[in-house]
Amino acid sequence: MMSSTSILASTGALHPTATGRRRRGGSLDSPRVLWLTVPSLMWFAAFSVGPLAAMFVIATLRWKGLLYEPTYVGTENIGHVFADPTFRVAVRNSAVQIAIVIPLMIPLSFMLGYHLNTKPRGYRVLSVLYFSPGLISISITGMIFYGVLSPDGGVNGLLRLLGLDSWVTPWLADPSTALASLIAIDLWRGVGWTAVLFAARLTSLPAEVIEAARIDGAGRFRTMWRIAFPMVKGYVRTLTMLQFLWTLFTSAALILLLTKGGPGTSSTTLSYLVYEKAFAQRDLGYSQVVGVVLLVLGVAGMLLIRALLRSPLENTR
Amino acid sequence: MTAPNPTRLRDLPTPTPTPTPARRPRRDGRPVATVLSWLYALLLAVPLYYLAVSALKANIEIFTRPFALPAHWLWENFATAWRSADLGRALLNSVLISVVAIVLTLGLALPAAYALARQDGRLARVVTGMFSAGFLIPPFAALIPTVILAIKMGLFYTREFQMLFLPASALPLSVLLLTQFMRAVPRPLVESAALDGAGHWRMLVNVFIPIAMPGVVSVTILQLLTFWNEYLFSMTITGTGPDVRTAQVALPTLVSDATNFGVLTAGTVLTLLPVYIAYSLMTRRMQQALTAGAVKG
Repeated sequence: MMSSTSILASTGALHPTATGRRRRGGSLDSPRVLWLTVPSLMWFAAFSVGPLAAMFVIATLRWKGLLYEPTYVGTENIGHVFADPTFRVAVRNSAVQIAIVIPLMIPLSFMLGYHLNTKPRGYRVLSVLYFSPGLISISITGMIFYGVLSPDGGVNGLLRLLGLDSWVTPWLADPSTALASLIAIDLWRGVGWTAVLFAARLTSLPAEVIEAARIDGAGRFRTMWRIAFPMVKGYVRTLTMLQFLWTLFTSAALILLLTKGGPGTSSTTLSYLVYEKAFAQRDLGYSQVVGVVLLVLGVAGMLLIRALLRSPLENTR
Repeated sequence: MTAPNPTRLRDLPTPTPTPTPARRPRRDGRPVATVLSWLYALLLAVPLYYLAVSALKANIEIFTRPFALPAHWLWENFATAWRSADLGRALLNSVLISVVAIVLTLGLALPAAYALARQDGRLARVVTGMFSAGFLIPPFAALIPTVILAIKMGLFYTREFQMLFLPASALPLSVLLLTQFMRAVPRPLVESAALDGAGHWRMLVNVFIPIAMPGVVSVTILQLLTFWNEYLFSMTITGTGPDVRTAQVALPTLVSDATNFGVLTAGTVLTLLPVYIAYSLMTRRMQQALTAGAVKG
């Protein structure tokens, strides 16, 4: 954080006399000050940890809608879920989504971020455009693409203009393109935004290192992957984990807005299944078993990403 | 097709001339990167352009001439959208929820960050660890239990629950970021304030918050934007009732079996406008705030 270090310097200069004074080992330094973190922790416990823990309890209940009384059924829900073909489709769809989005998004946005960081011509325009998806809410994104992908929308209009009439299809209502469309939207909004984040991180690298590599005759591609990449690998790991979690957990919102999991179950992901089972099909136990599965997958995926992107060069924070 | 930036498109394949003498020209893939970066920029710009021109057209024109400028500009789309989605009230609800939530967030996070910035012991590290874990495991994993919590608290279908819940989801990142900024407060300054007899409260208000101000601003911008843009929880917990719903929830109500795309896109533009105005007024600050949010991890 550049701004804070510069403040550090300026305030230090303002109070040169203070440095000489003796430290008062008073009550102000006692660990009792940590009581001030208690309201935050309790708030977080009540609204975030509590509901998270409750998932595990609800997963063991037969609970047909919020108006009814739940009964304890133990592991029965788990059996139902794993025997359900819809669940298997959802697992497959989520796997496809993650397997396409993450491996495409992270390298692409790293390269774009690196490019942005070299301040190419017009990079201001580029960075404003890349930044845009970070400002646009999921509901607005949904509405934009509801128009763009509708049967008479922008994409089909463009295809007709290009004479590719045979490609015209109702993108969100066609079982073979619904999931692909959602994945395309994930990439549309994610790549530029992540690239801006990478660019911001890459600015903090010492310019001499990159310059030295170039003078040593390393090409641009080599410099990018062999020099810059290892230096920000810890950050790559963090962003990969975040994008993974966002994609895995939050896909329900866009699906709710655009396809409602359909046609059929062709675009139902695990995240959407949690929502659908609870609100449309009124089976809270089932929904929360899927929720727990999602959580387990999230943690497992995070550990996997951490292991894959381990960086011996960096000191761990 | 009317591309938004035809001139820039034409510039694409020309390799950039070396801007500084230090950078030697070599076969380094720069033209490829330039082409790809502008191609992606075009991909981002075209839907936004399509959105903007559609907002001024009727359905028939959107379908037949999707990328052309409107033949006559249908400004009443905006009025229709404003009226039929009751956007005025929805925007007010969004403002109300976001403002209360940000005040609560700062009220909770600032003292916590202050404590964590002043302590470096085992207990402090445990607390920091809890917030770090909370940052990675996102609260939206637990949508349904949160709905049940809202019902049990008697706050289902009210704005109040979002005001209480949103700060909780924002706390981990806010506390971690603010702690980082507060660690930059110089030791001598703290000591001289202590000699003057400042207690924790005065120390926080007079010394730590002023020095961590850039961090406070960043966290405020970042979380305000997050609250403003929140959809799934607002949709399920606050609900679609016209008197409580937020702008993000009101907008999709313009979709129907016979959607007027012109009105829908006009509504989208209206909902997007506050954020873009804020962005154009403080571009740098917002970029800093949003990148800071993801840099910490």
